[in-house]
Amino acid sequence: MVFVAPAMIVLAAILGFPIVDSILLALQHVQLTGGAVSQSWVGLENFQRLFADPVFWKAALNTSYFSVMEVILVTLISLGVALLLNHPMGKSGFFRILLIIPWAIAPVANAVLWKWILNANYGVLNGILKSLGIIDYYQVWLGTPFSALNFLLIVDVWKSVPFVALLMLAGLQRVPQSLYRAAYMDGAGPLQSFLHVTLPTIRGVIAIAIVLQTIWSLRVFDLVFVLTRGGPADATALLNFLAYRVTFNFLDLGYGSAIANVIFAVTFILAGLYVWLLWPRQPGASR
Amino acid sequence: MSFARLQHGGPFRQTMILVGLAVFVVWSAGPVLWLVISSLLQQKALIQQPPDLSPANFTLTNFTTVVGAAAALGRGIFNSLVVSLFSTAVALALGAPAAYALARLPVPRANGIAFLILATQMLPGIAIAIPLFILISKLGLIDNVLSLGVVYLSFNLPIVIWILRGFFTSIPVGLEKAAAVDGVGIFATFWYIVLPISIPPLTAAAVFAFVEAWNEFFFALILTRQHAQTVPLVIAQFAGQYQTVFGQMMAAAVISVTPVILLAILFRNQIIRGFADGMMKG
Repeated sequence: MVFVAPAMIVLAAILGFPIVDSILLALQHVQLTGGAVSQSWVGLENFQRLFADPVFWKAALNTSYFSVMEVILVTLISLGVALLLNHPMGKSGFFRILLIIPWAIAPVANAVLWKWILNANYGVLNGILKSLGIIDYYQVWLGTPFSALNFLLIVDVWKSVPFVALLMLAGLQRVPQSLYRAAYMDGAGPLQSFLHVTLPTIRGVIAIAIVLQTIWSLRVFDLVFVLTRGGPADATALLNFLAYRVTFNFLDLGYGSAIANVIFAVTFILAGLYVWLLWPRQPGASR
Repeated sequence: MSFARLQHGGPFRQTMILVGLAVFVVWSAGPVLWLVISSLLQQKALIQQPPDLSPANFTLTNFTTVVGAAAALGRGIFNSLVVSLFSTAVALALGAPAAYALARLPVPRANGIAFLILATQMLPGIAIAIPLFILISKLGLIDNVLSLGVVYLSFNLPIVIWILRGFFTSIPVGLEKAAAVDGVGIFATFWYIVLPISIPPLTAAAVFAFVEAWNEFFFALILTRQHAQTVPLVIAQFAGQYQTVFGQMMAAAVISVTPVILLAILFRNQIIRGFADGMMKG
């Protein structure tokens, strides 16, 4: 008990209390004026307002598009990268260093870097695409709604692939060599041994990666804050950013908590799924 | 077709893999390389179209200007160091015994507790940020390095517990049994027998926690004003203020990411093993 108690008390104070309080706050009208907080109970008013708010629905739509695309792209690219690095030609430690660098770069520094790469007047992306003849004029990549959201997506995919690729690589390295040898003895070619040996064995890892990446895609914040601040015309206002804006720019803490609660609820279901995938099963039980 | 041929592939597959690896290298290293080049290039060479990459244009003035002009950056680095070291140290001190107990001692519902801790890590920061902001405002501890460090325990303590619990579950029971037979108590067993063989996972957990704290932006944005600003905040402000001085902006970014990139490269094997195991083993 002495071993666990200190950690549990700290976690209860900085995790348990805020989680419960955040649900309570969503049922209140909370205003911050001149450093003083005023609170009053309003029942479900914040949620009624939420469901009637077109900005909320727009952010929900943006977030759905962003998360679905992100999960698909990250999963496919990461699987590709993991397969490349698992091949004898990709075993060099150099490639692993290349994977760990984007992971370690601070999301803010990453966002600042891409802001420069995507710059409309001097950005290197415009320079390269123009000299290759792909575009005729320099583009304002973050200037139009659809393009801004997609560039946000690409930048976040770039940042997210390394971690997931490393997870999948670890999964691939656990596939026993003897299985490949057995498949070879049975006359399987490269494609068959991928479909019937590799994929089934790392299915669990892929499932975990998909759930984790979905959860992570709902928390993207730094990138939106530095690159677009939700613009143009709220095209890149993801739910997480909207909750921040309502709470800390408009100082409407109760309504902000209601939005945070929606993200919380979605994440909660996904987290349950993740735990279910990971929960220790009886030996021999399949996952 | 031989087995080796199946594994390595024929000339066609090998060419495809080579092309794939080349694309991978350009895709991952390209942006980082451009970050470094931009930080070393004079402004006028940088904004030429195409940029003038002749050796004469490379300079360290972006770095000296940024370091000299922006006191905020120095203070930011100092604050980041304090916050990251504090939350890493506390997370290890509280997390290691907790992880050991959850893995090894008869704690009721140990699995349930461990998974509950893991599940909290899935929550978006905003869900706990609003209550914490109100609480910390009421206590008058906004813009305080240590209150930020304590808030960082909300993710660092679970990370440490989860990584170490995975390791403690995997060490052979015989070691502790032998100690028990010799009449060594739980505390002594933990301190003299378990901890010394746990240096690699402890290092992995420490590096992981340090990197997470060093890079954190969201809580720092909400809970600090000026005095306690950390590096990511300073960088984000630079990006707003020095919009057009691209070289200096990149130099500031390079300064802020170098420490953690070096740590990550040095300890890459421990980190990879630590998080792969922690994330995938129940």
